[in-house]
Amino acid sequence: MKRGGPADLEARVLSADLCTGCGACLGHCPYLKTLGERVAFVHPCSLTEGRCFAVCPRTSLDPDELDRRVLGTPRLDVFLGSYRRLLWSRSLDADIHGRAQYGGTTTALTAFALESGTVSAAVLTGGGPTSFPQPVVARDRDAVLAAAGTKYSACPTLVPVAGLLRESDEAFAVVGRPCQVAALRNVQANPKNAHRFAAVIGVFCFWALAPSFYRFVAAHGVLTRATKIDIPKEGGVVFSNGRTTTVPLDEIRPHIRPACQTCLDPTAEWADVSVGSTEHDSAWNTLVVRTARGQALVDAAVAAGALETRPYPPDRIPILRAAVAGKKRRVMAAVDEGDPATRYLSVSDDTRAAIMAGGRDVQ
Amino acid sequence: MSLQALRIPTPGQVVVLSGNEAIARGAMEAGLGYAAAYPGSPSSEILASLAAVSRERGFYAEWSTNEKVAMEGAAAASYAGVRSITIMKADGLNVAMDFMTSLAYAGTRAGMVIVVSDDPGAHSSTKEEDTRYLVRAAHLPVLEAATVDEAKTMVPWAFELSEAIGLPVVLRNVTRIAHARGSVTLGPLTPPTREARFDPNARYLTLSLFHPVLHARIEEARARFETAPFNRYTGPADAARLVVACGPGWTYATEAVELLGAKGEVGVLKLGTTWPLPERLVASHLTHAREVLFLEEVEPFLETEVKSLWAQQTERGPVRFLGKASAHVAGPSGPSIGELTPEIAIKAIAALTGRELEVHGNGFAERAAKLALPDLPPRALAFCAGCPHRASYWAIKSALELDGRKGVVVGDIGCYTLGVMQTGYFTVKTVHAMGSAVGLASGFGKLGLLGFDQPVVAVVGDSTFYHAAIPALVNARYNDSPLLLVVLDNCTTAMTGHQPHPGTGRSAAGDPAPPLPIEAVARGLGLDVDIQDPLRTAEAVESVYRLLQTDGTKVLILRSPCALLPSTKRTHRAVVDPARCVGESCGCNRFCNRVFSCPALVWDGERGCARVDDVLCAGCGVCVDLCPRGAIRLEETAAIAG
Repeated sequence: MKRGGPADLEARVLSADLCTGCGACLGHCPYLKTLGERVAFVHPCSLTEGRCFAVCPRTSLDPDELDRRVLGTPRLDVFLGSYRRLLWSRSLDADIHGRAQYGGTTTALTAFALESGTVSAAVLTGGGPTSFPQPVVARDRDAVLAAAGTKYSACPTLVPVAGLLRESDEAFAVVGRPCQVAALRNVQANPKNAHRFAAVIGVFCFWALAPSFYRFVAAHGVLTRATKIDIPKEGGVVFSNGRTTTVPLDEIRPHIRPACQTCLDPTAEWADVSVGSTEHDSAWNTLVVRTARGQALVDAAVAAGALETRPYPPDRIPILRAAVAGKKRRVMAAVDEGDPATRYLSVSDDTRAAIMAGGRDVQ
Repeated sequence: MSLQALRIPTPGQVVVLSGNEAIARGAMEAGLGYAAAYPGSPSSEILASLAAVSRERGFYAEWSTNEKVAMEGAAAASYAGVRSITIMKADGLNVAMDFMTSLAYAGTRAGMVIVVSDDPGAHSSTKEEDTRYLVRAAHLPVLEAATVDEAKTMVPWAFELSEAIGLPVVLRNVTRIAHARGSVTLGPLTPPTREARFDPNARYLTLSLFHPVLHARIEEARARFETAPFNRYTGPADAARLVVACGPGWTYATEAVELLGAKGEVGVLKLGTTWPLPERLVASHLTHAREVLFLEEVEPFLETEVKSLWAQQTERGPVRFLGKASAHVAGPSGPSIGELTPEIAIKAIAALTGRELEVHGNGFAERAAKLALPDLPPRALAFCAGCPHRASYWAIKSALELDGRKGVVVGDIGCYTLGVMQTGYFTVKTVHAMGSAVGLASGFGKLGLLGFDQPVVAVVGDSTFYHAAIPALVNARYNDSPLLLVVLDNCTTAMTGHQPHPGTGRSAAGDPAPPLPIEAVARGLGLDVDIQDPLRTAEAVESVYRLLQTDGTKVLILRSPCALLPSTKRTHRAVVDPARCVGESCGCNRFCNRVFSCPALVWDGERGCARVDDVLCAGCGVCVDLCPRGAIRLEETAAIAG
C-alpha cells in the first residue's frame, strides 16, 4: 500500500490537473466528491494518510512492481506488456452486435461472467456517448447490454467499488480504462480485497476526453443526437444516429484530458484481459489475455459459445506495437525533459532503454 | 406577549409590559388607525402585538415588504386623516430614508409616529447605528424614552406633536427599552377614526420651496420641547457637575449618582426630546455647570449638539465636556463602541466626582465563579439542528469546489448570514445590506470584460428576496449578468421571529393572503428557475453545479421550512448504528460532528463513535446522506397522541 494523505493527493494529482478521473479514491469519505468528471475535495481533510492516496494511479506508478505483483512474471513485451494469448475475438450474440462497439467482446465477456456465475455484479460505464457517462453496477445481462458501447470521456467508473467492497463479500467484474485497472490493482494491494475482483477487463485507451468535449458537443446541435461515436481507421470522429457526421480529429484533440498525455499504458497491461479495436476489421476486437483468470474466463466463454476467437494476424502485430510504442516514447521523452506531469512514473533504466530502443520491428 | 394587558380598557391600571408592548399600547391609546412595519430586532414585537389585536380593535396592521413601503403606507393614512405608526430597526430606516427626507418636506396631516429601534452593542444586528443622525438629516423631531412607562406615554404625546407641527415624529428606541419589562400605567383606549378621507383640495408635495417651511416646523417643535414633560432636572439648583442623559442612560445616571452618594453634588438633566435640542432649557443648566458628562447610547450625538449650543452662548464660563467624544464614557471596546451599561455610568460619574466605588464589590467575583458552570466550553454561533441553511451551504460549497473555478459567494441579511462562520463552512464572502447580495453579484457578473472568470453565487433568504433583491435581480436580468441567485427559502422570516411575508399566504393579522411564490416572480422576469430541497444533498449539489455551468442569470430556490416553525413536525429521528460507525478509524475523521457540525450530532467518547442527541435532532436526514459508512439511519418517530 502506498502511503500518503489527502494533501499530497491534492498537491500532486488534483491541483496539478493529473487526475485521470478513474473514481477509485471516491466513496471512502465525505470530502472527496466528483461531478462532471472532475474530482475535488469539497472540504479539506486533515488526515495524514488515506486510501484516496493509496489507490490513486497517479500518486505514483511503478510498471515493474505491477508486473511482478499482478502478473508474476517479467514483462514479455515492452510495449504490449505480458500476455498469454493475443487474439481477435467477437461476440456470437446478435443483440450484442447491435449495441456494442466492434466485435462486442467486452460486453460478451461481462455478460458471460454474470450469467455463468463467475461474478454477481459488474461495474461498468453506462449512458450515451454525447453526455457524461455514469458508473453502473450491472447484475444481469440486460444491464450489461444497456451499458454497451465505447464512451470517450473519463467516467469515474470506480465510484461504486468502495461500497461494493464494504457492503458485500461478492466477487465482481470491472470493465475499465487502463488507469482504472492500475487503480484496482492498488485497491487489491490491501489483502482484504485481493480475492474480490473476479474479472478485470481493461479496454484500450490512448486518451480520454475532458469535460469540455461535452460543451463542444452541446455547441453543435446535430452532434447531441448521436447514439454512437467511433474513431475509425479511415480518420475523423464519427457521430452516428442513422446518419453520420464526421468531425475532424483536430477539432477533438484540444479536448483530450491533460492527464492522458502522460499515460504510459494504453492497453491496460495489468488487466485479466484487455480489449481494443483491431484498427482493421470492425467486426472483431483485439483481445489480449494476460492472466490465468482471464484465460479461464475466455476459454469458458468460447466453450459456451458466447465468444469466438481467432489468432491475431501476424502481420498486424507490428502495427499494434507501433501504435503503443509511439505513445510510450512520447511519454518517456516528457520524462527525459523533466516534465513534472510525469513524476508519478517510476520507470527503471532497463525499461526506459527498452522502450526507447526495443522492438526494431516497430520503428 | 402580554396581549391581554394590551386589551385592558381600564384607565389607571398598572400592568407589566415590555417596552415594545408599551409602545403598541401607547399607539392604541392615541387612536391608532394604521400600522405598518418590516420586522427587525429589537423592534419586531411592536407590530406583532398590534397585528394580534388589530381586528378586534378595528385598526389596520400589516407586515410590509420593506421599511420604505411601510413608511409610505403610514404616510398615506396620515393624509387621509388617520393616525399611523411605522416601525423599523435602524437598518430599516436606511431603506426608508429616501422617502422620509421627502416626507419631511411634504409634511403630514393626521399624527404619524416613526419608531426606529437602535441596537446598541449589535446584539442581533450586523452594525451598530445611531439613528439620530439620519433623523436630524431629514429634519424630523426625535424623542427618546428612558423607561418602559415613558415609552407608552410618549407615543400619544408624539401624535399630538405631529399634528401640531405637520411633521412625523420619530421615537428612537433602543434594545434596553424595547426588550425590558416594566410597570406601565394604562390610559384609556381610543378607537380609530372612521372618517378616513383625502381632502381633494390638499396637496403634499416634495419641493425645495418647502425647505424654509420645514425649518419653521422644526423651530416649532423646539419651542414645544422646552416645556416637554419628558425633560426634567434633578439635583442641586446650582450643581457645578451636570450629567445630561437620555434613554437608558438616564436610569443608569440616576442609579450611579445615588450609589456614589453624590446627589447633593451632581445634577442630572434628563432629556426625552433630543433633537431639535431645547436650547433654553439646556443653556439654563450650562450656566451653573463647570463639568458636563453625557450618557447616551452609541454615538456622542447629544454631546455634540450641546457643545455646539455652548459655542453659541455669549455669557459662558469655562465648561469641560466629558463623554464619548472625549473618551470619558467608554466600555471595554472604547467610546461609542457597544452598549452603555450601569457600570460605565458608575465609572464615569465616579471619575467626575473623584469618588470610588467597586462596581462588582461584595464578593461578586467569588459568587459569580461559584454560580458559573465549570468547564463550559466556548461555543460558536451555529445553525439550529435540522436547519436547512446548513444543508444549503454544504451543497453550495460542494458544488463550487467541484466546479473548481474559485466561485464567489456573496451573502445577505438573515439567519443565513451565519454562512460567514464555521457553521456555514465560511462559504459567504461578503455581507452588506438587505438585497445587496444580488446587486453585488450583478456587478461581479459583468466583470468578464476585465478578466473576471469566477462564477458568482448570490445567497438571499425568502423574505429578503421580496424586501430588496427584486430590483437588483431585474438589473441583472436587464444587463444579462451571469450570476446564480440561490434563494434560501425557509418559508418564513425566521431570524426576526417567524413573521409572515408575501410568499407565505398569511397576513400580519393571520388572515389568508394571496401567496406570491418566489418562482412566479423570477419566472415573470423571464428567468429559468430550479427548485430543490436542500435536505436532499446530492440533488441540491447537482443543481447548483449544473447552474454554475449555465450562462446568464439563473435562480435556484432551495426550499425547506425552518426547523423551528411550529408547523414543521418531526416525523423521523436520526440514529447512529454503533456497529457501522467505526469512529476514529473511519476515513471521515469524525465528519458528522466535527465538520458538518449539526448540534444534534455528538461524539460519544465512551463508545468511540458518533451519537445523535434525540432531543435536538429534527430528523432532517442530511447526516444520513453524508455519512460515508451509511452508519446513520432515519427512524419514524412514534406518533404522539393528541
